[in-house]
Amino acid sequence: MSTLSEEQVGEIPLELKADLDADLVNEFISDAREQLENIEQGTLALEKNAQNQEVIHTLFRAFHTFKGNAGFLDLTAISQLAHMLESLLDGARENRLQINLVIIEIILKSRDTLQQFVDEIEAQNSGKKPRQIILIPTAALKVSMRHMLSDATAHPAKSVPGHTSESAPADMKAAPTPALSHDEAITANSAHMNGATPHLVKVATSKLDGLVDLAGELLIAQSLIVQNISSPTVNRHALSRNLDQLNRISKELQRTAMAMRMVPIRGTLQKMHRLVRDIAAKQKKNVQLILEGEDTEVDRTIVEKIADPLMHMVCNAIDHAIELPDRRAAMGKHPTGTIRIRAYHKSGNIIIEVEDDGVGLNRERILEKALANGLVKPGATPDEKELLSLILQPGFSTAAVVTNISGRGVGMDVVQKNIAKLRGKIDIKSTPGHGTTFTLRLPLTLAIIDGLIIRVGGQRYILPAIAVRESFHPKSGKVTSLPGGVEVVEMRKEIMPLLRLREHFHLMDGADDAGGGIMVVIETDGKKRCLLADELVGKQEVVIKNLGEVFQTDPMVSGGAILGDGCVGLILDASALVHLEPETKELKFAV
Amino acid sequence: MAALFLNDPAAGKGAGKYLTFILGGGAFGIPILKVREIIRLIEITPIPRMPDYVRGVVNLRGKIVPVIDLRMKFGLPTTATTNRSCIIVTLVTIASATKLMGLIVDAIDEVYQIHQEDIEPAPDFGKGAPTGYIQNMAKGKGHVKALLNIDQIVQDDHAILPLPSILTDKANSSR
Repeated sequence: MSTLSEEQVGEIPLELKADLDADLVNEFISDAREQLENIEQGTLALEKNAQNQEVIHTLFRAFHTFKGNAGFLDLTAISQLAHMLESLLDGARENRLQINLVIIEIILKSRDTLQQFVDEIEAQNSGKKPRQIILIPTAALKVSMRHMLSDATAHPAKSVPGHTSESAPADMKAAPTPALSHDEAITANSAHMNGATPHLVKVATSKLDGLVDLAGELLIAQSLIVQNISSPTVNRHALSRNLDQLNRISKELQRTAMAMRMVPIRGTLQKMHRLVRDIAAKQKKNVQLILEGEDTEVDRTIVEKIADPLMHMVCNAIDHAIELPDRRAAMGKHPTGTIRIRAYHKSGNIIIEVEDDGVGLNRERILEKALANGLVKPGATPDEKELLSLILQPGFSTAAVVTNISGRGVGMDVVQKNIAKLRGKIDIKSTPGHGTTFTLRLPLTLAIIDGLIIRVGGQRYILPAIAVRESFHPKSGKVTSLPGGVEVVEMRKEIMPLLRLREHFHLMDGADDAGGGIMVVIETDGKKRCLLADELVGKQEVVIKNLGEVFQTDPMVSGGAILGDGCVGLILDASALVHLEPETKELKFAV
Repeated sequence: MAALFLNDPAAGKGAGKYLTFILGGGAFGIPILKVREIIRLIEITPIPRMPDYVRGVVNLRGKIVPVIDLRMKFGLPTTATTNRSCIIVTLVTIASATKLMGLIVDAIDEVYQIHQEDIEPAPDFGKGAPTGYIQNMAKGKGHVKALLNIDQIVQDDHAILPLPSILTDKANSSR
C-alpha cells in the first residue's frame, strides 16, 4: 500500500479551484490546524519514547485524516505528502520500521511543510493574497520517506536504530540538528501561533447545555415578574423574591457566557516543547521543559496573546540563564537544565510562572548598567524588587548584563509591553546561581475590568483600577508651577506631573467644586502621573465595549462601558495618560 | 445586502424608498436601507477632544454607538432641541466595514417612495462648494429633497461641510 508510482513523484503544484466553496476550505483549514498540532505534540512525544504505540496510532490517524480531507478538496500535493507520512507511520505501526531521530526529524519537517500549505491556502481563501498556484517543494521529503520505507521492506527484520539514517539521502543525515537560529525559531513559531487564530470555537456540550438551561430559567423568572406586576394586587414580597431570582440568573448567565470564551492554556504551553527542543539543540544545552496546570482556563484572546511573550521568556531562559552541561556539572547542578511553566488561578487572576534553574540575575551588573544608562540615580539604593524590575525597562539588554552571551537576546521590555497590554503585571524573583522565576499575573478575561469611576465636570470616566496607586486630598500635596506651564505635585518627597482632567477635556461648564476635587495617582509602564478629578464616584466591575473604529485614533479613551444608569462612561487609557505630552492637537473623527 | 439592493441597476439609479427628515428647515433623504432605527434623543456621553459636531456616544441596548450632529456638520446655527428632535441610527460603510452611526436631526418627515423620473442629479451649487455628499435631488410634493450620501458625510474630515444655502432657504420659504 505504501509504494507510489513514479509519475506521482516530483513537485506537484497546488491550485485552489475557483469554484471551491470557501466555507469548505475554512473547515479544512481549521481541522488541518488541529491535526497539525496533534502531529507536533505526538512527534515530540515519540522522540522521548519511540516505542509508544498509542502515539504512533494517533499520528497515523492524524495523517490519515489530513490525507482524506485534502483529497476531498483535490489538494493533491498535500494529500500525497500526507499519504507518504501515513505509510511511514503504518510501517512503524506494523513494526516494519524503527522510529529514530531521522524519522522524527522528517515528520517534523513534513509537518512544517503541511503547515506552509495550510497558511498559504488560508491566505488565498480569505482573499489576503490573490489566488495563485502554490508551489512548495515536497518531492525531497517524499523521496527520503520512500527510501526509508523500501529499506525497511528490504530488511524486514527489526532494523537497528540508526540503520535507516545510513540509507537516507545525504542531506537528511544532517537533519537532527535543527537549522533554525534562535531568532528564526521565534519568528517561525510565532508565525504558526498567530496563524492559528481559530475561526471556529469548540465549546464543551456541558457549557452549552448550561447556557440553554439558564435561558429557560430566565424566561420563567421574567414571566413570573410580569405576572406579579400585572396582577391587581401586587405582592411586593413575591415580586422582590422573583427579582432576586432574576438577578441570580442574569449573573449566572453572564458567568456561563464568559466561560464559553475560556479555553485551557494547554495548547499554548505545549507549543513551548518544540521551541525548547529546537533552541536547546542549537545552543548545545540540555533542557527539559516541565508544564504544570495545562488545564487552567483562560480567555481565548489572552491565550493567543500570551504566546509571544511566553516564547520570548522561554528563549531568554535557555539562551541566557541555563548554563552549558559541563558548566552545570562543575557547579554541582544536574547537567540538564529545567524550565518549569506553571499556570494556575489565584484570586480572580491567572498566574503563569516561568522558572529556570540557571545562573540567576546578577544584581551588581544590573545596577552597574542601570547607572550607566541613567535609569538609577547615583547614590540611590533601589530595593530588590525595583532592582530586578529594571531589566524590564527599554534599552536594557539582559544578554550583555547578566550572562555576557552577546547578542540576539530579546528585550524583556517587549515582554513587559505585551503583558501590560493585557493589563497584566510581571514579578521577578531570582537567586544567584539557582535560577530566576518570572511571575505573570493576568486578568481572567479582557472583557471585564475593575474600574474606578471618577467624575470630571458633568462627566464620569473609568480608570482601570490596576493602574491606580492612591488618591489624596489636593491640600496634602504641594502643587508647583514650572516654567512652561507644566505643573507638578509633590507627595511624600516624590514629584509627579499633574494633569487637570477638567481642563484637559475642556469640561469647564460646571462650577468649580468647593472641595477642590481629588488627586488620583496612576502608575503604568514605570511612570506616574497625578490626575485632578472632581470626585471619586466608586469602584465597579465594568464590561468593556468597543467604541468602534471611528474613535480609535484617540489614545486616551480605550473603550466605553455602560454604567448603572444606562449612560456610557468612557474608559481612560492609563498608559496614554502617563505618556501624554502637554500639548496635543484636536483629533480627527472617522478614519 | 443593503448595498446590493441599492446598486441593483434594475431598481434604477437612486430610485427607491427614502427616509426623509428636516434639518434647518430643509428636507433631506437617506436610503431607507441605510436606516437601522430611529430613537429619541437620549443622554449622550461626549468624547474628549473630538470635533464639535461629534456629539459623543450613546448606549443603544448595550451597543455603543457614536452620534454626530448633522446641524453642526453642515454649519447650520444650533438651536434648542425640541421633542421632535431625534437620532437616526444609520448603517454606514467606512473602509468596507459596516458600522452603526447616529445622526441628530430636527425631525423625521416620512418614508417616501422616490421614482426614477423625480430624480435629478445634484446641480452645481457654485463657489466650489464640496457637494459630493449630495447624491441627487428629488422633486415631489411641491418641494425638493436633497438625497444624501451618508457614508461620505461621516468620513469627511472637514470640521464643517457647508450646505448650499439654497437648500435650506428655498425650503424655508415653501414651508
